[in-house]
Amino acid sequence: MGGKVTCTLGEVKNRADLVIYWGGNPAECHPRHFTKYALMPKGKFVPNGRKDRTMILVDIRETPSAKAADIFLQIKPTKDFEMITVLRAIIKEQPVDPAIVAEIGLSLEQLRDLADRMKKAKFGVMFFGMGLSMTRGKHMNSAALLTLAAELNAFTKFVAMPMRGHGNVTGGDVIMRWMTGYPFGVNLARGYPRFNPGEFSTIDMLIRGDCDAALILGADPGATMPQPAIDHLARVPTITLDPKVTHTSRISRVHITTAVTGISAPGTAYRMDEIPLPLRPALKSPYPTDEEVLRRIRQKIACKPLQLPPTVPMMTDAE
Amino acid sequence: MELTITKNATCTFCGCVCDDIELHSDGERITHTKAACVLGASWFKNHTAEHLYPDALIDGKPATVDEAIELAADILYDADMPLIYGLSNITCEAQRESVGLAEMVGGIIDSHTSL
Repeated sequence: MGGKVTCTLGEVKNRADLVIYWGGNPAECHPRHFTKYALMPKGKFVPNGRKDRTMILVDIRETPSAKAADIFLQIKPTKDFEMITVLRAIIKEQPVDPAIVAEIGLSLEQLRDLADRMKKAKFGVMFFGMGLSMTRGKHMNSAALLTLAAELNAFTKFVAMPMRGHGNVTGGDVIMRWMTGYPFGVNLARGYPRFNPGEFSTIDMLIRGDCDAALILGADPGATMPQPAIDHLARVPTITLDPKVTHTSRISRVHITTAVTGISAPGTAYRMDEIPLPLRPALKSPYPTDEEVLRRIRQKIACKPLQLPPTVPMMTDAE
Repeated sequence: MELTITKNATCTFCGCVCDDIELHSDGERITHTKAACVLGASWFKNHTAEHLYPDALIDGKPATVDEAIELAADILYDADMPLIYGLSNITCEAQRESVGLAEMVGGIIDSHTSL
């Protein structure tokens, strides 16, 4: 779990009486999150479902999710870190600077009320979205929120969980953590894993022009990344594996069409609370799966002379 | 056309990964979904088993999967610092293969998490 204080969505369903969404719009982005996991279901310790829970939304604008909230706290953009820090101070009964409170866009009473509700909850959960983790402060915001959750455990049970976007992005973290010890941005060039976001993360690598080939799978950076990164992808030989011919495929040397994960390709996917779930494909694809194509590429490379020093044991030999 | 019903299917559109979806399919496309949300229903209905795209493309021209795999292996083997990126819309089994491949070619592996 990477050291964070978290739980499964099943525990949220059965126990959470205070549900806080921070910087996310589940009503539109995760439509069944309220009804299936976090808000509506009747649980063992919240027998009346929605009536037993308090829902608080923290965001910079009033999204459709605000309609589902008991309390909507509209804060000023980029003030998430300040708000979390002030909350941490209030919870520890430390004095807070009114100037900083004014910057957040909320009154001290609202923040005191929130801190009070957090401490009094039987089981509190904070779901945080990209509105927190992708704005000014980035991973420092997430770290602050996770610290807040950890500190609240001096008073009650409190957890935090990221609202993950794409289907199996959680699985990517879990698999890389399992195999290399790090969740993303891993460099294996020296034969052992090194982790350094900012140096080995994709956008930085591409903008600096550090890589001389790329394999893109289950993503379409050609449609989403900044232009200098796309330019570099077009400059180097790029290989794309995707069920459709995407923007990235058009700037690639090689595109291979693959079966669609979960619809025509079987396997496993991780839910946002790191629970692995089996996929039950309903269709048979005329295309090979990503897994099969990757295995065949590996077999081809395995026939070539080994590039790594023979004294370095391969992690994957121990499978 | 024979109707097949897949019960407790798993939707991989968003991070909720709902695993209680019922899918009705006629072998080529999913015609009806039960319990899926608007995003999930469009995800299931927009992907068919039809052969809509060429098996593989090399420099934008149709090619066989064998040729494409051969060239992909050459590109990754010859590169000094290959980058493997994405991993969001693929299975854990395919993710495991990609980490193995990254180790084999001595490259960098990264996912959407770093964005």
